[in-house]
Order: sequence, then C-alpha cells, then structure tokens
Amino acid sequence: MRNKKSIPSRRTLLAGLCFGISRSFAAGQSDIAVVVRPDVPVDNLSFADLRRVLMGDRQFWASNLKVTLLVRGPGARERDVLLKSVYQMSEAQFRQYWIAKVFRAEAASGPRIIYSNEMAIELAEAVPGAVACVDAGEVPKGLKVLKINGTLPGEKAYPLR
Amino acid sequence: MKRIFQIVSPVVLLTSCAFGQSLDPATRELIQSLLVRIDGLERRVAELEQEKTAPQASPATLPNPAPRSAAALEQPAPQPGHDHDQAPVPEAAQPSYPLLKITGFSDLNFAANDSHVPVTGFSQQTYLQSHSGFAEGQFALHFSSALSSKVSVFGELTLTARPDAGTGSPAAPGFNAEVERIIVRYDLNDYFKLSFGRYHTPINYWNTAFHHGAWLQTTISRPEMTQFGGSFIPVHFVGALAEGAIPAGGLNLNYDFGVGNGRGQVISRDGDFGDVNNNRAWLVNAFVKPDALFGLQAGGSVYRDKLNPLGGPVAREWIRSAHIVWNRETPEFIGEFADVTHEPVFGGVTSHSQAFYTQFAYRLPFNAKKWKPYYRFEYMHIPFSDTIFKSVPSFNASTAGVRYDITNFAAFKFEYRHYDIRKVPEFNGFFAQTSFTF
Repeated sequence: MRNKKSIPSRRTLLAGLCFGISRSFAAGQSDIAVVVRPDVPVDNLSFADLRRVLMGDRQFWASNLKVTLLVRGPGARERDVLLKSVYQMSEAQFRQYWIAKVFRAEAASGPRIIYSNEMAIELAEAVPGAVACVDAGEVPKGLKVLKINGTLPGEKAYPLR
Repeated sequence: MKRIFQIVSPVVLLTSCAFGQSLDPATRELIQSLLVRIDGLERRVAELEQEKTAPQASPATLPNPAPRSAAALEQPAPQPGHDHDQAPVPEAAQPSYPLLKITGFSDLNFAANDSHVPVTGFSQQTYLQSHSGFAEGQFALHFSSALSSKVSVFGELTLTARPDAGTGSPAAPGFNAEVERIIVRYDLNDYFKLSFGRYHTPINYWNTAFHHGAWLQTTISRPEMTQFGGSFIPVHFVGALAEGAIPAGGLNLNYDFGVGNGRGQVISRDGDFGDVNNNRAWLVNAFVKPDALFGLQAGGSVYRDKLNPLGGPVAREWIRSAHIVWNRETPEFIGEFADVTHEPVFGGVTSHSQAFYTQFAYRLPFNAKKWKPYYRFEYMHIPFSDTIFKSVPSFNASTAGVRYDITNFAAFKFEYRHYDIRKVPEFNGFFAQTSFTF
C-alpha cells in the first residue's frame, strides 16, 4: 500500500533542493532582510530601533499603525540570526522572554510564528504593520526592505547575516 | 509517486549541472513549467488532505479557507506550542476581536527549617511554616485579550491554599480565589498608554517583572520586601495608570504615573472596594534601558499615600525606591532598595523603615545550560518607632540555590536559606520547588 504521507515530504525535499540550488548560485548565503508593506512610514531603522521593534518595546510604526511581528519558527536560519544578533538569547530565553512580556501586560501577544519565508511574505503583504525577517534572496517586489543603520542587505556593514 | 520522481529528477539534474554557469532561457522555462506542475500537484494533495480531515473538526475550530501559496502549504504543520508561539491562521490578515489567550502557572513546594520557635511576620509564600512538608503553590491563570488593535485587557486570577482550611463556622474553604490583576489599557502610541484596573504597584522592579508565576523568577520565593501578602510595600494598587516609553537619545526612558486607592485598613491589602479616606495615593516610576548597555535597567520610584491602619496612627506614607538590574542570564543581577517613611498626622515620631536585596545568578555554559546557580542577600530593618509596621519582621537572610530547567516550560529549584531575625534565634531552611507554565 502506498503511503500518501510520504509523497509531500519527498516532493518537498526535491523541490526544496531545486529551489536551494537555483538560489545558491544566484545569491550565495543571503543576508536577512527586514520587510514591511510599502505603506509603513519607515524606511530606515537603527539597529537599536530594530531591536526595540523585535523585542516588542516599540509597538507602533505610527499612532494609527501597530507593529505585528512575524518570526520564523525554531530551526530556521532567519530565527537563528535574529536570536544571535538582535535578541542575544537562546531559544529557551526567547520563549521565556515573550511569556514574561505578555504576563507583565506589556504586550497583548507574542510574535506570530511563521514556518516558511513564503508564508512570512504572504502575511507581511496582507497584515497592515507586519514586519518579517526573510532571506534577502526571496523578497518579492511588493514589499519594502528596511535599511538597517542605513544599509541594505548585501552591503558590507549590514548587520543581519 | 513514480510520476513525481519522473518530473522532479530532471530538475535536480539540470540544476546540479548548472553550477558555475548561468541558466539558459530554455532551461529556466523548463524549470518554471515543472515547478508550476509541482505546485498543481501540491494543491491537489492539500485539497485531498483537507477533504479528509474536514469532517473531524468542529465548525467552531475550522479556519476560514483562504488562498495560500503552494510553497506555504508544503511546510510542515506547526507543532502545538505555548500560546506565545502563535502559528498564523489563514484569517490572520483580518483578526477578529476579542482575541483571548490563557496561560497557566503553578508550582509545588517542599519546605523544612530548623527553627525551634514559630516564625511570624513573613508571608505564607515564603514557606516558613512550623512543620516541614509539601505545600501547594499558587495556581495562577493569566488572561490576555486584545479588544482591538489599541485596546487590551489583562487579567490574573489565583487560587491559594489556606492554612485555616476547614476551620471556623462556616468552615473556611481550601483555597482563596483572588483577582490579582485586571487591567484594561488603551494604547494611544508608544509614548502614551492609559489603563485602569488593579495592578501590581509599579514602585519597584520585582513587583512588576515577576507576578504570580513562580516559574518566571529564578528563585523559589520573592524577596520579603515585595512578597505577596507582605506589608512593606503595597503590592497591589487600584486606580489609573499612564505609562509610556520615550527613546531619549538611546536611553529608552520608561515612565509610569498612577493615581488610585491607597492601602486598606489592613495595610497588606489594597482598596479594592474603595479607599479608606479621601486622599488618593499617587506614584511616579521611571527607569531607563540604554541601547548602549543592552540588558541594563535602572530606575526609581516615589509613592505617596495617607494611611488609616487598624491599630495604628493615621499617617502619611512616603515610599522611595531604586533598582538596578542586569537582566541577561550570564550573569543576572537584581538590586533594589526601598525606604518607607511614616509621618503620623496627629503628632508622633516619624520613622524610616528600609529594605534591600541583591541577587546574583549565572546560567552555566555549554552542556550545563539548564543549570542556573544563584545567591540572594536580603535585609529589612523596621525601627521600633514604626508602629504601623510592628508586625513586619526585621531580619537579614542569605539564600543560595540552583535552578534546573527541565524543559523550556518547567523547572526544578533547590534552595538553602539562613535567617537572622531580630529577637529570634538564627535558623536554616531547605526548600525545593517545581514550577511550570502551561
């Protein structure tokens, strides 16, 4: 009897391999881009501002536009880069940080956990004020890439890599 | 299955061969057409799987179908996690309110000490009972609900075991239920948020950083100066609070300004039902979290109230406090000081009661990351002239312990404490706790 469950996983692996190979010689190990919808009234963030946004300390882009955090699930490279460079926390510390933050009534909820860059891009396009950190090689034209400390992904001083 | 391999294998070969050279348009077109075909197959698989699972789900839990890309569908199903790990649902683009989330916390404790006299004046949560044994910690439920993008409600409910359960007439119940916090907050922007409700009074660090979930704090119990049920500072506050954060050139200045009912006639209680006089208590709290020193927090507070305590003089109360915290775990440092001044209104001696604690902890590196040893020294001095605090103990204590995180959501803690209390022989205690969130 054929195991239907095995079909998506093998297919996923192969498709992922195709994507991965084609991306790898196109862009190499990409930087992590911080993307928002074009209507977010911010083009450049200092690294400290980015940290405030991602830690839930800055919750508004403007008075009428609230930040919605989209963070990749455990194991994703994008999450690892953020944990290491922005949060400076382990996975366990990151979870405890958000539980405590919600418990202190400083935020109504933690970040939305995203399981693929495609999903992150979809939600970043759909949710007003959403901010996602995705592989710079996968950013579509409809989203705005924020400068960090005045630099864009691929530039020498860009901090998220 | 075979067909999929027939489709995909050429793609793998083609892309592998393409290392070091650019793709010609025909190859790119072929890859695109194959990918489109894979997308189609994935959609079909997803549809079939959805049809198979749909009848098992109740209508209330079914998400609204919304278009998702094949790439999104191919990702593994999100693992169920804590509610802060919110997997995005298809309707996430248009959230429906209210969005209620519930988190639970609880702990179980073992305590033993070698004191030969009853230890009085300490909170029940400090676990200095006359007899050794196990004790149920608080069962805390935390509710958070967004009512709109700018309005949120937070609640905290606890059930606490009573030492007098079953006594009296009618018999006392086994547990006390208490609404510890209920807050409705309007967020205008980051600079100004206005809320109303019952708070943990923001006049020192511990009281607002750690609430009723013992799992969140490194140690088994809170410092006595900020202990639940204690009297040194008013742990709860009913009223209104304005708060916000200002970048302030990288200092990140946070502020709270509150007005509300002061302490009740029993000074460990707040004025839930109403104030005991016509003087509102007020407080100002400010702290900075500098960008340049990520992890540092330092600040201070002032609290003012007029007290009408049972068995004590009417007095004005000033509380001044300061704290400095390094809240990374390598190391963790918390230091707080508070001075409580009581000025009797109708004459008498003005008294100053003081308390402080310092706590160090360090998350061990490498394979020992689950272990976090800690040490705390705490000190509380109540002058004999402070008749309002006559039941509050004067003491110093050292606590040495270790926390072991079993998982990301549960921990074991083991503590040794040494107490030196005024007019009581010194004694030692051993304490153990398992605390968790769920």
